[in-house]
Formats: sequence, structure tokens, C-alpha cells
Amino acid sequence: MASFSRRRFLIALGWGAAGVTAVAGGGAWALMPTLPPRNAPSAADATAWLSLRPDGFFELYSSRAEMGQGISMGLRQVAADELGIGVQRVRLVQPDTSLIPVARSTVGSDAMRETGPLVAHAAAALAGAVLREAARRLGRPVEKLRLTPDGVADDGATVFTFAELGAGPPLLVTAEDVEAATPRLLAGPAGRREVGRPYPTHDIAAIVTGSRPLYADDVRLPGMVFGAVVRPQTLGGRVLSVDASACNSVPGFLGLYRDGDFSGIVATRRGALAQAMGVLAVEEEEGPAIDSATLAGMVEIDAASGPLEHSVLDAGDMRERPYDVDLTLTVSLAAHASIEPRTSIARFTEDGGLQCWTGTQDPFFVRNSLADAFGLGRDKVAVHGMRMGGGFGARTIVAAEMDAARLAKLCGRPVKVQWSRSDEFRAGFHRPPSSHRFRLSADAAGRITSWHHAFRSGHIIFTSAAMGPGLQFATSFVADPGVARGSIPPYVADATRVEVEDVRLPVKTGPWRGLGAAANHWAIETAIDALARVKGVDPLDMRLKSIASQHTRLSTVLTAAAEMADWRARARGSSDDGWGLACGIYKEMSYAAAVARVTRTEAGYRVTGLWCAHDCGLVINPDQVRAQVEGNLVWGISMALKEELLVEGGRVLPESFFDYPLPVLSDVPEIEIRLVEGAAAPTGAGETAIVCGAAAVTNAIAAMTGRTVKALPVKAA
Amino acid sequence: MRTTLNRQSVEIPRELADEPLLFVLRDHFGLNGPRFGCGVGSCGACTVVVDGEAQRSCVYPASAAEGCEVLTLEGLAIGGRMHPVQEAWIEESVPQCGYCQNGQIMTAFALLAARPNAGSAEIEAVMDGVLCRCGTHARIRKAIAQAQSRMAGDA
Repeated sequence: MASFSRRRFLIALGWGAAGVTAVAGGGAWALMPTLPPRNAPSAADATAWLSLRPDGFFELYSSRAEMGQGISMGLRQVAADELGIGVQRVRLVQPDTSLIPVARSTVGSDAMRETGPLVAHAAAALAGAVLREAARRLGRPVEKLRLTPDGVADDGATVFTFAELGAGPPLLVTAEDVEAATPRLLAGPAGRREVGRPYPTHDIAAIVTGSRPLYADDVRLPGMVFGAVVRPQTLGGRVLSVDASACNSVPGFLGLYRDGDFSGIVATRRGALAQAMGVLAVEEEEGPAIDSATLAGMVEIDAASGPLEHSVLDAGDMRERPYDVDLTLTVSLAAHASIEPRTSIARFTEDGGLQCWTGTQDPFFVRNSLADAFGLGRDKVAVHGMRMGGGFGARTIVAAEMDAARLAKLCGRPVKVQWSRSDEFRAGFHRPPSSHRFRLSADAAGRITSWHHAFRSGHIIFTSAAMGPGLQFATSFVADPGVARGSIPPYVADATRVEVEDVRLPVKTGPWRGLGAAANHWAIETAIDALARVKGVDPLDMRLKSIASQHTRLSTVLTAAAEMADWRARARGSSDDGWGLACGIYKEMSYAAAVARVTRTEAGYRVTGLWCAHDCGLVINPDQVRAQVEGNLVWGISMALKEELLVEGGRVLPESFFDYPLPVLSDVPEIEIRLVEGAAAPTGAGETAIVCGAAAVTNAIAAMTGRTVKALPVKAA
Repeated sequence: MRTTLNRQSVEIPRELADEPLLFVLRDHFGLNGPRFGCGVGSCGACTVVVDGEAQRSCVYPASAAEGCEVLTLEGLAIGGRMHPVQEAWIEESVPQCGYCQNGQIMTAFALLAARPNAGSAEIEAVMDGVLCRCGTHARIRKAIAQAQSRMAGDA
């Protein structure tokens, strides 16, 4: 029976689009006042993003952070085409928070979709302003002048270089200019020179030579010291006392600083800091002795009875027993494990301001949080966003920034705090464990008659890593939109029911690449494969005949991936070799399908072939989109075969990468990718292929063994 | 303590003898190439080459570098020309976030300097020890192959 859909309610509240967007009921906002308004970027914002400088370069302020996803180069390409210049003439600057209007966080694969077309508008508007200025100086009609790669030309001859034009008073554009501009970007391929060309990541030369500072740890301030925060080592633990008397024998140790529950130490060099931490006597009231099994039990779907708290979708008459497939699937706790640990530098300035350098996905959240914590006006705090050594959702909250600022305040010097790898595992937040039950039926032809997916998961957007108990309570009546992401299947059924319950866990969980879509799509794609097996239908046909008619772009990429891998001709029946496929839609905007070949070896399952077709609309930089697809597929391999963050005796177990397996070179085969441009505007690529990588791998294993893979990660071959 | 750092003789102050080499390179000499990832040698982001061998500088005491030749990412280019490994890294557009790439490049450099014709199994065995979270592995494989042919061409 069709009934009230909670999802519509969520969209009405503003949760539909992405990330931490708006409010969860009126009261919640007041509980989180530091969160900047999350309005979509506007033409007025874009007027501040681009300028012609006296040296003849166009300076582009990116309102989104760079973490390797390629936004910086992509925006340079977009701006260059509107100005008729090469990317080398567009200088990208990651502006500090004092230089641009408040911007959204860099999340949800939204940077290019939300800011690319606006940058095009701003650049087209600036191109007009440049021409008008040249016309004014020459006393010529503007229609006679053209932009060239080096300046402005009149009748084919350069009359002004960009440096000459940039040397005058700044050329300003208004919000009306930006809005009224007609950029080439979306007008079709004719005006594109830089858009569509493959470029490596922005700053690649500095990355491969070390020639200049890029990341937060490369920032060194005069008088700067190094700090570390004393933290409980157990989940729910509390530091009772800290005794630093043994630290005094460590040369370079400067002191222990406390402020209420907070305590941290400071040293002149990092070796001393590590030594002092080693001899610091810390008494801790340990939290409960939970372990991985405790957490799994808390989200166990089979322990729930009756309808779950939140309905995502409820349409049609659900068929009762018997089901063709009745399957419970589980997903482990997992870490972000960026190779760069969170690192921040804070300095209080003589004029009463605070400066912070950090790799963050959300500089304005950091700015507001620091301002509020230290009672400063927001204009007194400047956050300098540095290139991130991996983000993946981990850098959406305020962490090392607050550590560094508190210590800087207490010790009176600029402080750099770099989390230890152990901090990353024990003080960070993680992909929640989840448990999914599917009850599915299909008719003899493989047409799905009923689809029922019930699941329980730890929180994602309503993360306890950033929300206090008050806000946790205020949001407890609304389904966590991060958990629900990607849970509606792209498949048609006579009846579909998707229901979810989010569970507050004693371990911090939050956004991880793809949010809920990563786990939910693995589960959906595992379930439909199981149904195809039961019905004796090829998994490709099962999907193609079930994909809802509005999702033709999904059918297109699925057909393409199958063709690339020669799916129909794949070898079958081997107990040591299997082929699997999977597909999905990310945030109703981007599409991906993958085929994986998996081979059983003495060392375990090994992915020996990987093909992916991907559609994120207009491709600005094919090289960087491919890189994102590759990255997501490797994450898929890792989800399927490697990653589990163990909890034991009340603590997160790993302290280093020795205890947390990541994929390595020998885990990754050659990857073949085809980019499909199914829309005239760019959407997003940063997380899309995470919807298909893991399930393609585990479905290949299921094809080999005849048994559905029911738990991530797969333990042994 | 005298050490040769990127072909220049430098002095490491005696009081930094116990400091991990990584922090001496980053905080005393101001280098950006070697990076901190884990502090216990489990990821490889801090890799430098000491007397021709790849070493994890986060667990390598500065005193052990006395009298040695230390090469960092900054020292690979000679006379403004990048090393073939670096050129291959750009040509294959390897980096995403870029943070681990110091370790990838320095490890590949040391391997190819010692064994220019290393086969795929040997390359995997060595490079498996250097972690990348972004998933640049397939490109690393291609870049190493390309560096091998560039280096053979130069010879």
C-alpha cells in the first residue's frame, strides 16, 4: 500500500541534497549555531572569485577545497575557456576565509556541479569587463575587440597584454554581470579548448619535487612549537589525572597545559613531544569493555521486530512469505585512513585575531567554531585551507584545529598539532557498521514483484563526533539522511519498502566516502544478484529488465561496462575464477557500472580484471574524472576484501597501518574505464563509482562459489 | 654530525641525535618532500634514500645518518632536470591527493637505481609496502614501467 513517504518530508526540510545542509526541525539550529548557513553559492559570491592581476594572470579563488579530487584544475579549465586563454594563465589560489563570502563545505561530490557553472559565468562576465576596459582606453567600439591567449586584439593585432590591462584599477564585475553572462561551458562543445582536455592534478610539479609548501605540515611559523592533546584511549573513557613530572627530563619539553577537562603538552621539537607523551602518566576511567561483536549486535537487523523507525519508501502491496531471497548482510566498521593525519597550526595575533592553517573540507565551519570557542568576532579569525592529504569525509568537523588553538592560547605561542596515527584511529570517527535484511521475490521471468530492504546503521550526518547530546536528541526523530543515502533501489518492483533505523553507537561514526550509499549499494547489488541466481537469470539481464524507465543513463553505463568486459562471453563454471557486476546511481545525478573478475589464489581472492563505465555528465577533465573512478574502484576492492576497523576491550584496536589493512599495488589490477557524457552539465565524480566497485567484486566471488557474500570484508578465499 | 644531504654537506646539531631523521629534515632543514604518515614505519610516506637504500625516516634516528649520503625528494632533480621517475609520475598523472607520493617515488627510485630491470613481481613486492589511500596504484604501476624505459633510453 502506498503510504506517507518520510523521504519527501526530509527533502522538504532541506535534507534532500547533500551533506550537513540545513536544520533538523526548528530547534536543532539553535543547538549548533557555529554551523555556517549552507546556502547554494550565488552570483554575488562568484564576483569575489576571479580577478585580473597586475602581472597579467587571472587569479581564481576556489571556494572548494582540494583533496586530490581535482576541483582546482577543473575550475582553471572552466575559467580559461570563457576567457579564451590557456590554463597556465589562470592562477588558482585557495583563499583564506577572509577573502571570499561564506562557502559550503567540500562534500557530496558537489564542488564542480555547484561551482563550475558559476565560475564560468564569473569568467564570462570578467571577459566582458576586460574587453570594455580595452575599448575605453582605445576609444574603440567593444565589438571590434577580441580576447586572445595573451591579451586583447583589435583586427587580429594585440593592442593590450593582460598585464597592461591588469595594471590599471581592478576590473570589477557585479552580481548582475555574472548572472547575465552567457558562458560557453554549457552552450555546447564549440567554444571548448581547455574543458575536456586531460590534465594532471593542480600542483603536480610541487607534489613530485617537494619544491614548495602544499599541506598544513609544510607551514612553519616563527616561534612555532609542537603540541599534542591527552585523550582517553578507551571508548567512553575519561582522563582523570595527568602527571607530567617525568616529562621534565626530556630536553625540549615545554610544559603541560590544562583547561577544565582539556590537557595537552607542548615541546620545541616533535621527537621530544613523542618522548614526553611516552612518559606522561595518565590515569583514565575506562569506558565499557565493548568489542566489534558488541557493535555488530547493536545494529543487528534481525534483532529488530516490527516496522523500523523511519520509512524511506513504501509503495505497493508487499508480498508476504515465501520470499525468493531472504538475506541478511553486514558491513563492518571502517576507517578513513587518509595518509595525512589531521594537522593544524594556530596563532593568536597581536591585534587579537586568530589564524589557523589546516587541511579541512569546511574552512568556514572551522572559522565559526574557533571564533565562538574563543569569544572572537568571525572577522577576527582567518582559516587558511591547505591541500589535504586525503579527505573522504573525515575532515568535515573541527578537530586538530581546536587542539592547536587551545594549546596556542594556553602556551602563548603558535602551535602545530599533528594527530598521531593512533589519534586518527581512536579520536577520529568512522564508517558505521550496518546490517541489512532483504526479502525479495520475482516472477518466473525475473520481474521483481517485491523488494523489502530493512537496515540499521550507526549515524553518519548526525555524527556524535560533532553533535552534543542536545543535538543528538533533537535529530533523533528524523532519519539520518546520510544513513539513508542511496538506499532506494534503481529497480522497479510491484511493491517496494525501504526502512531504516539509526542507532547511536558507543564509537564515533560519521561520513565516509559515499556516506550510506557505499554500504547500501553494496547491499542492494548483492541482493539483486542473489535474486538473479535463485531465478536462474543472468545478473545483467535481471538488472536491465528491472531498471526503472527514468534511469536510462544507468542502463547505458551498465550495458557499456558489460560490453567492455565482454560479459556475455565470460568463462563460467570455474571454482577458481568468477565474474561479477554491479551498478548504481549516486545522489540521483551520476551513474556507474562495473564488472570485476576475481581469481582465487593461494594468497586469497585477487581482483584480476576491472572495467567501469561512468556518467557524471559533462566531463571537464577526463584525466581527473578517471582518477576518481579508479580511486573509488580501489575503495571497492578494499571494502570487499580488506577493511575492518577492529574494536577490542573497549578501544579501537589499531594504532598504525600494521593493524589496519589497506589495498596495495598487488591488490589492484589494470582498470579500464569508459566515460559517458549523459548530460550537458557536470555533476559529480568524487564518490560515484563507490556504488558499484565492492559489489562487483563480491558478486564475482559469489559467482565462483555459488554462495552469496554476506559480510564485508570477505575474510578468506 | 656531518651528513651529505642532497649532495651538500650539512651539519646536524648534536642535540638532535635522537630525533627521527624525518623531523630533522622537515623541521630543522625545512624540507617538504618526506612526509609524516604514521610515525612507526607502517606506511612509507616518510621514505628517503640513505646510501642508496630506501629508509623510513620516521623511525631512522638522525645519528644513524652521520657520514651518510641522504637523498630526499628535493634531491632527485639534477641541474633543474627532473629524474625520469618524477617525469614518469607527471606523464602518467599519478598523484591524487599527493601526500603519499614522496614515498612512492623515493621507493621506486631506490628500486630502479639498484635494479633497473626489476620485473613486475619484484616491483609489487617492494611497492606493496608503500600505502596509498586515494587508489593511484594502477598509475604507479604504469609510471614505474615508463620510468624503466626512460632510464634505459638515457643509458
